[in-house]
Amino acid sequence: MRILRLLAIHLRLALSGALAYRADFLIHLFESLLEFGTGLGGLALVFSHTQTLGGWSAPEVVALTGVFFIVGGAVRFAVQPAMESLIESVRDGTLDFTLVKPVDSQVLVGLKRFEIWKLVDVLMGLAVLAVALWKLGAAVGLGDALRFAVALAAGGAIVYSFWLMLATLSFWFVRVENILVIFQSLYEAGRWPVNLYPGWLRFLLTFLVPVAFATTVPAEALSGRIGWEKILLSLGVAAGMLVLSRLFWKIGSRHYSGASA
Amino acid sequence: MTAIRVRELRKQYRVSEREAGLWSSVKSLVRRKTRTVSAVDGISFDIAPGEIVGFLGPNGAGKTTTLKMLSGLLHPSSGEIEVLGQVPWKRHADFLGRMSLVMGQRNQLVWDIPAVETFELNRAIYRIPMAQYRETLDELVDLLDLKAVMGAPVRNLSLGERMKCELTAALLHRPKVVFLDEPTIGLDVTMQRRLRDFISQYRRVHGATVLLTSHYMADVEALCRRVIVIHRGRLLFDGDLGALVGRFAAHKLISIHLATPCAGLAQYGELVSDEEGHVTLRVPKAETPRVTARLLAELPITDLTVEDPPIDEVISRVFTEGAV
Repeated sequence: MRILRLLAIHLRLALSGALAYRADFLIHLFESLLEFGTGLGGLALVFSHTQTLGGWSAPEVVALTGVFFIVGGAVRFAVQPAMESLIESVRDGTLDFTLVKPVDSQVLVGLKRFEIWKLVDVLMGLAVLAVALWKLGAAVGLGDALRFAVALAAGGAIVYSFWLMLATLSFWFVRVENILVIFQSLYEAGRWPVNLYPGWLRFLLTFLVPVAFATTVPAEALSGRIGWEKILLSLGVAAGMLVLSRLFWKIGSRHYSGASA
Repeated sequence: MTAIRVRELRKQYRVSEREAGLWSSVKSLVRRKTRTVSAVDGISFDIAPGEIVGFLGPNGAGKTTTLKMLSGLLHPSSGEIEVLGQVPWKRHADFLGRMSLVMGQRNQLVWDIPAVETFELNRAIYRIPMAQYRETLDELVDLLDLKAVMGAPVRNLSLGERMKCELTAALLHRPKVVFLDEPTIGLDVTMQRRLRDFISQYRRVHGATVLLTSHYMADVEALCRRVIVIHRGRLLFDGDLGALVGRFAAHKLISIHLATPCAGLAQYGELVSDEEGHVTLRVPKAETPRVTARLLAELPITDLTVEDPPIDEVISRVFTEGAV
């Protein structure tokens, strides 16, 4: 309950902050439109030469693009700002104030900062997904939709845990922004189905930097090409990552010594 | 009953060490030489509930490290700490909800939003009931004269206004133990006095235990009867502020009023000031009785007082010489 209240307060603060900078909204909208335009334009180009791509039809890849933007947008909306703020607060020592609060510090850190306008990406992703679904038509059953929802939630949890672990590294190595950049560029690979990539890269994108679970798997679920076993695998990976990142956080925050005054 | 109990507390850090120059930087990539530094080296003390204690020491003495261990931010290397009956580093919500940490050099207020929003946030974090929140906030706003400033974004506030808001944010949940790490740093004299009065009043009204570090002796003199002095991680003194001066002051100041101006006063002691018949001499403590007797016998004195040197001076002597 308290967590929901804290979430509501932080979102309200972020919103009032965002409304103060309305120009940001227009800039971001433009940026977002541009990115969608080039992304979908690229797809149109590819599918003008071929009917399927590694077994994926055009609407299926469009659906994947939708998922790619939904997950990416959610990360840019909530996860990335919170983790960047964590890294800053480790450096300047203000994490002290978070750690002395009687609320789980991992939760407080996660709520710290939101970039409201990045929700535009999520909304546009949803719109693209809706168009893809309309094209796919009757091919999507109720079971597919359910598997999609579960896979998406698991994918979100995996990406969150991954970010948290990277950001937690700042407890040991104070400057870690560069690692975050690496993750962002690897995430870009998620806009294509992972089975297009050569084996070693597919392995990398599935298990080392689990981008596949965040984008390909939900999109596969939607087009009915996977069953519950893969969804269970995805859930298992999500649970494992959540536990591991929690452990990371516990050890890291104990290691934190703070910027001394 | 004690509010804070510390026994043989130690904190050691491993710091990496390397010589200057590029080659040694490269070498340190492969093999890092580390050295163990004791920031806090076996200190013990007790503080009773409702007591306010000044925690003194030069930069790097281990004050902040100790405060961080007391507030649960740092894990001690060895020794015991108990604050409000709890072990701080376990960070039980019950403990964290009853204490507060204020650091003059760092802000918990969010930069871009009005302070009152941070207060609201803390209300949710500490689960302060609405009625109590209103009452405490009104009280603090009144005492600190915050009405006009708490609605403005924090970045637009002056340093003093910001510090007042920081204190308010830290005290809204009526903590039983408050750690103040240089709360008045950088503030002008009026504002320092204002905050001091406020801290003293808060402690009186809420029976809070306060541990205060400050570089301004005026803060300590005004607020604390008892002081704990640490130096290089070790406890140097724990007791009455007056006793500290008595123990560490190597000199006394003798001021005399003379009926007629006299020459050759330097033979009695170091001449601190000489203004129209009002003379102040600095004399080694052990010599004081003898010199006083001589002065009275040899000079036309109308008035004589023997005083301890200003506390600032004593403290700085303690710090620079590490004298015990």
